[in-house]
Amino acid sequence: MELSWWAHLWSVLPEIVLVLAAALMMAVDAWLPEGRKRELGYWAIGGLAAALTVTAVQAAQLAGGIAVPYEAFGGSVRADLAAMLFRVIFLLAGILTVAISMDFRPLRQSGEYYILLLISVLGMGLMGAAVNLVMLYLALETVGIALYLLAGYLRDTPRSAEAGLKYFLFGVFSSTIMLYGLALIYGFTGEIAYARIAQALAGLPAPAVMAALLLILVGFGFKVSAVPFHFWTPDVYEGAPTPVTAFISVASKAAGFAVLIRAMIEAFPTAQANWVAIMAALAFVTMTVGNLLAIPQRNLKRLLAYSSIAQAGYILIGIAAASPLGVAASIFYLGIYTLMNIAAFAVAVIMTNVTGSEEIRDLAGLSRRSPGLALAMLAALLSLGGIPPLVGFFAKLLVFAAAIESGLLWLAIAGVLNAMVAFYYYIMVARAMYVDRSPEEEKPVWISRPARFTLWFTVAGVLLLTVLVYPLYLLAQMAAQAF
Amino acid sequence: MGELIAFYLLAGIAVATALAMVITRNAVHSALFLVLNLVVVAVFYLLLGAPFVAMVQIAVYAGAVMVLFLFVIMMLGAERVGGTTGLRWQVPLAGALGAALIGGTLFAFLRAPAGLAPVGSPPVPFGDPAAIGERLLTTYVLPFEITSVLLLIAMIGAVVLARDSGPEGK
Amino acid sequence: MAPFLVEAAIKSLILVLLLLTGFAYLTLAERKLIADFQARIGPNRAGPYGLLQPLADAVKLFFKEDFIPEYADRVLFVLAPLITLIPTLLIFAVIPFGPELTLFGYRTRLQLTDVHVGVLYIVAVTSISVYGITLAGWASNNKYALLGGIRASAQMISYELAMGLAIVSVVLTTGTLQVSGIVEAQRNGWLIFLQPVAAVIFFITGLAEIKRAPFDLVEAEQELTAGYLTEYSSMKFALFFMSEYVKMIGFGALMTTFFLGGYLGPFVDLYPGLGVVYFTLKVGFLIFVLIWLRATLPRIRYDQLMSLGWKVLLPLSLANVMGTAVVVALTA
Repeated sequence: MELSWWAHLWSVLPEIVLVLAAALMMAVDAWLPEGRKRELGYWAIGGLAAALTVTAVQAAQLAGGIAVPYEAFGGSVRADLAAMLFRVIFLLAGILTVAISMDFRPLRQSGEYYILLLISVLGMGLMGAAVNLVMLYLALETVGIALYLLAGYLRDTPRSAEAGLKYFLFGVFSSTIMLYGLALIYGFTGEIAYARIAQALAGLPAPAVMAALLLILVGFGFKVSAVPFHFWTPDVYEGAPTPVTAFISVASKAAGFAVLIRAMIEAFPTAQANWVAIMAALAFVTMTVGNLLAIPQRNLKRLLAYSSIAQAGYILIGIAAASPLGVAASIFYLGIYTLMNIAAFAVAVIMTNVTGSEEIRDLAGLSRRSPGLALAMLAALLSLGGIPPLVGFFAKLLVFAAAIESGLLWLAIAGVLNAMVAFYYYIMVARAMYVDRSPEEEKPVWISRPARFTLWFTVAGVLLLTVLVYPLYLLAQMAAQAF
Repeated sequence: MGELIAFYLLAGIAVATALAMVITRNAVHSALFLVLNLVVVAVFYLLLGAPFVAMVQIAVYAGAVMVLFLFVIMMLGAERVGGTTGLRWQVPLAGALGAALIGGTLFAFLRAPAGLAPVGSPPVPFGDPAAIGERLLTTYVLPFEITSVLLLIAMIGAVVLARDSGPEGK
Repeated sequence: MAPFLVEAAIKSLILVLLLLTGFAYLTLAERKLIADFQARIGPNRAGPYGLLQPLADAVKLFFKEDFIPEYADRVLFVLAPLITLIPTLLIFAVIPFGPELTLFGYRTRLQLTDVHVGVLYIVAVTSISVYGITLAGWASNNKYALLGGIRASAQMISYELAMGLAIVSVVLTTGTLQVSGIVEAQRNGWLIFLQPVAAVIFFITGLAEIKRAPFDLVEAEQELTAGYLTEYSSMKFALFFMSEYVKMIGFGALMTTFFLGGYLGPFVDLYPGLGVVYFTLKVGFLIFVLIWLRATLPRIRYDQLMSLGWKVLLPLSLANVMGTAVVVALTA
């Protein structure tokens, strides 16, 4: 089918908006006087919001059947509901991240920071849409390089520099290993498009496919910080500027899952028995290790790092289920997780601005110092922990249900046990806020307006989605049908 | 026949230079072995009837990337890699894993050579600069443009990381 | 297969011999001309008008002590002159010295090989010609040599880009990557008139690539003794010296081919042999200009070198490529 040039452009319209916004910001950055650099944040939000609007319209068209899914640019990207929904997640995460970055003290205001953020969102959008190996790799690298730079952005602070370097080294290494896998696949099949790879792989010996699959999973595992590819996570999360940590923990992870889901389902359907076993094992190890290692953490960012590893484990359960329900559950989970985790990190950003530290004990007395902030954190933590009736509970319910449906009962049980463990350390944080006392609790907490927006948006989102669980689930289900 | 001899000869050189690159303890020598390796790979491309790719390989990898490598190594005076690092235990491990990789690949190829047959000869103007340019700017224009974005942010990043931070708190 | 190989071997042999003689007498020509510019006499003892001077120099260099510093990297120290010389010679493989003609009943082109990606070949070979000098500087284990080597690589990297883009303009205008095709495309007018900006950029960057005055910072005597050459003597020094001069010829040949119509000239179709004469004359003129410049211009400073390359030539060449592309697209 010959596509019109407009159809080609339509498939990547959000990315086009983002590139234009980034280019515009470079010009604005050059002309804006030194004292007004903070306004760049609003420019960035404007660009991301424009892309979000476009994406939302496109998603509505696809969901409403006005537009049909298709592949553009010689089978490089697909425009379908899943790609659009993932874009919504990335763009939302981007907007919220910019909002908490704007008044984050250690970051000197500069255009490059926002431009890198915009470009990484762009890359993620393409990761979610990529349906051939070349596009996949390019999108992964675009995201990767932007994020390495963002993690090491505060290069004068040794921690951030270390985080950047560590992230870079781990990232380059895992992407190289993944490249071996991609090369093997191309060598075996002579194809780069997922659908054709799937056909060609059918006639191949299982060990060959397995070798390639394992190598590729190293790269994906790094992106979603699944155990055993998680070693970078705590150090990078701790060292990177907190807003960047928030962004990496949600957007980069969601992007990793986007490519993981698409590649597994579209390129490796013949090896499904293999990858289901691998995913189930990964899910089990990831959530268990993440939760157990989260318990002794005293640093809020490290705690959230291990918590995010554990969350990746839950999401992997949905993929291990390898069913429409499982995929829908994973997408659902990712959407919710984005809101919850950014809310938690927003509190971390605000507290770092006030106390200059990221220790959990410095949250002491927060419920008296700033009841609203404490409540927001509590909502985020309880939802992350999966306490009913908050929406996080439904997310967990869905992945566990998907596991049971696919005959992975043991995995569901392990998940439930893990959720209980996780509950312990989330409550520890809540205890610091509500029970512990601190001599500083009379001092008010300053919350900048953009950060306040992020808090309101995320907490309201969590609460609203608690009510609107069913429509969200339906949306996730429709997206899952795209595969 | 001649082509086969050339292939095995070059393959031998390629493997030898790649090994030498890893084994040698002097960073400058490593870099030079890599250059040699890249040039040999370029000759492979020539043998495969893709002179355009071969020339680009030499100009970009051997000529531009590796020169910068060498430049940085020399600027930093980082050519001496410490002889006794704490990574000694990795040598046998790397050897074992490498052997496993070769073994695995051989196994996969020998077990089912039919499934791994060559993909057939490429279309006739394959590797022709005009054809490549045409494909890059029409069918694959998106990956092409994304590459430019990728390089742009890499450059921005290099500037961000390298520029003077100026007085603190600015 | 066999006749092709024999032909290539004969052509290569002739090429190398010509270049060796060319190099030898170029040294003399340069000394004589510089002497004239400076109102001196120049070498005049060895043979009539000093014509045997190159021979005398060769004998002298040959009998000099071949010295390798104790802490040098011996292997690379020995290899560096060769690594410098080889790419320099390789360039000539794709340069057409004349049109197709019949020699002894055998129809052939006065060009070693006419690959259809010849221009890329030139770019590739020039891009690896940095190694020799850089390595010479490093392998000497001498700070002046190292600085010279690092300067050389920085300079060549910086100017390679603008040079490549100037060549891109040429390729865009002629629509071919084949070197002979570029020459033939100039039948209706030399490219220096169609692409004056690219020609100027190519000339300047070419000067920098071959490290001729005013871009001879690599061997700035006052600062770096002799730069990467500091530790070299005898035949190894001679090899470097040779590659310097062969590069001058190579630069002249490239400039002629890309911008001055190569072997083209009046009556060249009737008497193909004339092509070689035209080509030699054009190259000779360019080499004269190179020597002239050396006698005229002072050496520029390092920061001037960098800002000229990155802030003037590169944007200019980019703009030129874009302009050319627009014109080509509109007229196609």
